[in-house]
Amino acid sequence: MLRYIVRRLLVSIPVLILLTFAVFALMRAIPGGPFDFAGDKSLPASVVANMERKYHLDEPLVKQYGRYLWDLLHLDMGPSMRERGRSVNDIVKDNFPVSFQLGVMSVALAVMIGIPMGIVAALKQNTWMDYLATFLAVIGVAIPALVLAPVLIWVVGVMLGWLPAALWGAERPFYLGFIPKPTPNFFRHAILPVVTLGTGFSAAIARLTRAALLQVIREDYIRTARAKGLRERVVVIRHALKNSLIPVVTIIGPLFAAVVTGTFVVEQMFAIPGMGKYFVTAISQRDYPVIMGVTLIYATLLVVANLMVDMTYAWLDPRIRYE
Amino acid sequence: MSSKLRWAGVVGAIVILTMVLAACAPAATPTPEVIVETVEVPVVETVEVPVPVGPERPITLDISFSGDPPTLDPSLATDTTSVWVDEQLFIGLTDLDSETMEAIPRLATSWDISADGTVFTFHLRDDVKWVHYDVLTDTIEEVGPVTAQDVVYGTLRTLDPRTASPYAYVLYVIKGGEALNTADLEELTEEELQALIDEVGAKALDDYTVEFTLEYAASYFPQIAYMWVMRAMPQATIEEFGEEWTWPGNMVSNGAYVLTEWSRGAMLRFKKNPYYYDADKAQIEEVVAPVVGESSTNFALYEAGEIDITGDPGWGVPLPDMDRVRADPVLSQELTILPRLCTYYYGFIHTKPPMDNVLVRKAFAAAIDRVALVENVTKGGQTPAHSFACPGIFGNAADDLTIGSYLLDIEEGKTKAQEWLAEAGYPNCEGLPEVTLMHNVSEAHALIAQAIQEMWRENLGCTVKIETMEWGAYLGMLQEDAPDADKPHIFRLGWCADYPDQQNWLGEVFHTTKSANRIKLGPAPDFDALLDEAVLEGDPAKRVELYNQAERLFIDEYMGVAPIYYYTSVNMFKPYVIEHPTNPSFGWHINDWKIDWEAKKAARGWE
Repeated sequence: MLRYIVRRLLVSIPVLILLTFAVFALMRAIPGGPFDFAGDKSLPASVVANMERKYHLDEPLVKQYGRYLWDLLHLDMGPSMRERGRSVNDIVKDNFPVSFQLGVMSVALAVMIGIPMGIVAALKQNTWMDYLATFLAVIGVAIPALVLAPVLIWVVGVMLGWLPAALWGAERPFYLGFIPKPTPNFFRHAILPVVTLGTGFSAAIARLTRAALLQVIREDYIRTARAKGLRERVVVIRHALKNSLIPVVTIIGPLFAAVVTGTFVVEQMFAIPGMGKYFVTAISQRDYPVIMGVTLIYATLLVVANLMVDMTYAWLDPRIRYE
Repeated sequence: MSSKLRWAGVVGAIVILTMVLAACAPAATPTPEVIVETVEVPVVETVEVPVPVGPERPITLDISFSGDPPTLDPSLATDTTSVWVDEQLFIGLTDLDSETMEAIPRLATSWDISADGTVFTFHLRDDVKWVHYDVLTDTIEEVGPVTAQDVVYGTLRTLDPRTASPYAYVLYVIKGGEALNTADLEELTEEELQALIDEVGAKALDDYTVEFTLEYAASYFPQIAYMWVMRAMPQATIEEFGEEWTWPGNMVSNGAYVLTEWSRGAMLRFKKNPYYYDADKAQIEEVVAPVVGESSTNFALYEAGEIDITGDPGWGVPLPDMDRVRADPVLSQELTILPRLCTYYYGFIHTKPPMDNVLVRKAFAAAIDRVALVENVTKGGQTPAHSFACPGIFGNAADDLTIGSYLLDIEEGKTKAQEWLAEAGYPNCEGLPEVTLMHNVSEAHALIAQAIQEMWRENLGCTVKIETMEWGAYLGMLQEDAPDADKPHIFRLGWCADYPDQQNWLGEVFHTTKSANRIKLGPAPDFDALLDEAVLEGDPAKRVELYNQAERLFIDEYMGVAPIYYYTSVNMFKPYVIEHPTNPSFGWHINDWKIDWEAKKAARGWE
């Protein structure tokens, strides 16, 4: 198993390098550069030339790519061309923990709501509980965060005033770089964004769990378990659930990677200083090192998440073995 | 296994329960800002003034930023958020009067102009100090006096090509400025670069006198002296910290407030500078400003009472909320519409038929019902524009309604437009090649473009196609050297003042040979001649006259662009913000603002 993990990780390195190449080529293909304009005004050519020289943009593309890879080897993702004086490492160090906090809490909420809801819907199929759960799930999937977020902000934050309307309540510094102090202020600020993000995902998870479980409980070995006289709860949780979780785990992996690197919409709407906005703004600003940096982090997390998903398969289904 | 899962379920339930309970717990009495007092008597020359200690909450103003300032370095700042912050942190040589936009004293108490108008000598205050904020001890300490050498250093630094300042071009009016800034670093030796630096017309005659020698007699130089790129900058700090000198803790500044926190993308905090020369008049002790990137969220925070103003440096009132705000008895009282030194316009590509025909351009410009647009689409109290420079810009012709009068009255405009179009050979728009209008991606621009598209259809009979493009690509596409085939016939742009003088408007944007513009008016020697004469003219009345003539040519003769409206900013202030003097230029001085502190505490439920 260990050899398998190591092999997987080694294989992912060329994949990531290929990714940097693809991103580099694509982003340089977009017309315009990071220094062409300041706000509404385009800058004089000599100024642009000066700034490009400072950031080595006047060198041949191959040399720039080589320089980038070399710095990457030293774990230096380069300077931000838009936020002068700040490096991509700084941006990640400041913003990634916040996205991580939001992401972990959202996925946790989604799993904690979604799986039980799916189980109930599957076991009590075609009863009112099933219909209610499915109904909620469809609504959860159908309502995008872009709609849910402002509604929650307005109703709960402004009209009712129960919770803060926006912003993130985590105080720096964080323990170990990303764990926040668990103050009431933190949780009060966190509820609305986590609910916005979590409910959509929990709906998807609930539907998947329900579908998978419905299939599994009709299997023969479940009949055997019931025939042996085991309690229903044991039958479901110990025997049926493990097998039905495979499709759920499959989506949770990439979901975790995507959410943890920051979701643009929720972070923008709740004014949460996460990493999500950089995925979008870095492109419109042509901030090349930031584009490469955030994409690389996302890709790395995705690789790791998929690896963990595969490990979980082995745990869920003992028939799956890796060597 | 089942017991493990059950255990996990119990833990999960406990976690959720804890979260819910924690959040529903009565809001703990907000911990007042605990300010650590240190009483040290250092052996060095610096003197630390302890900030008041105790449970008393400092008088705080809560605002927001529409985005994280990309930089706070005055040499590098271009964004309005950056400039707003720099206005609080660094004092300009001059300030701009909020009504007349004329230069008034600030760091400089007075200035003398030489007989030929090319040498300006500024006399500086001697009571302005550099201060440093120590993050660890939360104290502000005085570092030294602000001197003329600091002003010269700041100016030279902006012009230095190694700084790569985007705004250096406004300083090209200083002798040797352009030569230094456009120097090719690869070709020069150290000595040659230093020689260029020494050539620049900025000298410190003594500790409190600065002399600037200009390339020509630019009478608007005191307004340029207001700009942040020319401010005094702390040489020792910049040389020590390099690009990181603007982080709180490193930064040395001289303004009414110091930067105490800058969590990038999240929050900025400011504290009153006790060493500022007018510190005792400044009521507001702390400014707290989270970065809120979404305008609807920003407004929600305002309505929930978590921030005190809507507007610069944060988002203004969102357009969809304007009707509701105007109708609401409480909110409409808090609404304040302020002028902004910007003009919204539709430009033409003069080399692309049919826009090469001035009659076609005039027809399209006249067929826009600006009054209806401002009332029904933009709703922000904007002023319909008939000339390029907006009110407040020196030399503007905004109140000369004889220029482009047909642009303001749609009945007259419609009639004339149809006549012009027919005269150009396209009666009722028959035979006109397909015209494209382009704007950068934005909901507001889209609404305006669609409204105008409909106006053209109704008033001219012309169907215009609308296209959009992402901002960076859009600006690149509009560059002079980009191929005409990629360009639309009409494009949307705005122009905001760098400094409030026509030289920055008609001069630097539309001069057909000297400006770094995107629109070539095609040969317009009379227009250029007027601009050239006005720049060198010393008599302000004569300059106004010349610029008036230039605007008349620009609109009535050439229709260089179709001005649409002069911007406003739509702000709201909570009733307890009793004094909030504003200025159409960048940056308002928070030290002049006043809050009814008791009322704010009551509104927030503090103490």
